Amino acid sequence: MRYLIVALALIANPLAAQDFSEGSKARSWNLYAEQPATFEATVVDVLCTLTGNCPDNCGGGTRQLGLIRSVDDVMVLPLKNNQAAFTGAASDLAAYCGQTIQVDGLMIEDEDLNAKNLYMVQKIKAAGGDWVKASQATKIWAKQFPEAKGKGAWFRRDPRIKEIIGREGYLGLGLEADAAFIEENF
Amino acid sequence: MNSFTKLIAIAMASFGLLPSAGFAAPPDAAPEGKRIQVKGEIIDTWCYYSGVMGGPDAVVGSAHHTCALWCSAGGIPVGLLAEDGTVYMVIKIDEDDTSNGGPTALRMAAHTIEADGIHYERDGLNYLVVNQVVSDLDIQNLTHDDYGNIPAFSIPDPNK
Repeated sequence: MRYLIVALALIANPLAAQDFSEGSKARSWNLYAEQPATFEATVVDVLCTLTGNCPDNCGGGTRQLGLIRSVDDVMVLPLKNNQAAFTGAASDLAAYCGQTIQVDGLMIEDEDLNAKNLYMVQKIKAAGGDWVKASQATKIWAKQFPEAKGKGAWFRRDPRIKEIIGREGYLGLGLEADAAFIEENF
Repeated sequence: MNSFTKLIAIAMASFGLLPSAGFAAPPDAAPEGKRIQVKGEIIDTWCYYSGVMGGPDAVVGSAHHTCALWCSAGGIPVGLLAEDGTVYMVIKIDEDDTSNGGPTALRMAAHTIEADGIHYERDGLNYLVVNQVVSDLDIQNLTHDDYGNIPAFSIPDPNK
């Protein structure tokens, strides 16, 4: 009976169907399943939250970070930051470990792929702070790999990626397979 | 926090009976994990879920190997796409907990692996702690025959 009462209260509660797009100024990426969404959340270490394996400071930028929404305790997983450069959001969020912040971005909800509570962080607002773009990942990468300094996109210069492609090829099937593919397609 | 307590907490928060800030599940509220053995491909979850480069069949396997490397190194969460279509967000592999661009997931980009680990489920998403990579079968999904290379600029044009 208690469960029924709580369930009915939740159904009747307008927050249960809260529209997180209200107030969002997120930029569209013209994605099939995007929905603008802004909400308050606490930045957490996902592995820590799920398993209790909790290093200091959420792992100092080495781990994936989640956003536990204040209003409903849902853990949203950010997949992407604001940059069009194959970059995730964990590096941008790492500075806010344990803090309650406001985020603005795009929620990805796609029933066909069972996608829910996946997010692209475009902007971050710490308590008492101003909105900042979640666009720090490539700058953080540049500090980690000073030897890769140069022109062009970071992902063409990353030594880890270059080493793997140099060994396995672009297709990952070996250099001979690459050569045949390039001969046929370029 | 059990499910009933969680329901009560959400209801109280919704009615303004709890402060909204900082209402986060502490580690001791962690969901129960379940040991599983699963076989699947290590994928780039952003391209898979967002559709930014096409449908899900185009952003896996050899066609997408280079992009999967970029995204893994760039800190986009890697997933394990199981044979039944379930995607597990991989948050640790063996002793490597550096899920933000770490080396173990990077070298397995687009590879099919057999994993033994602990499955956690929270808020509609599946998470996987891989305790052991039982086998790394390299790239099994030869999608480049159908899709070329995705994105098209992933292989630099040798004529330019």
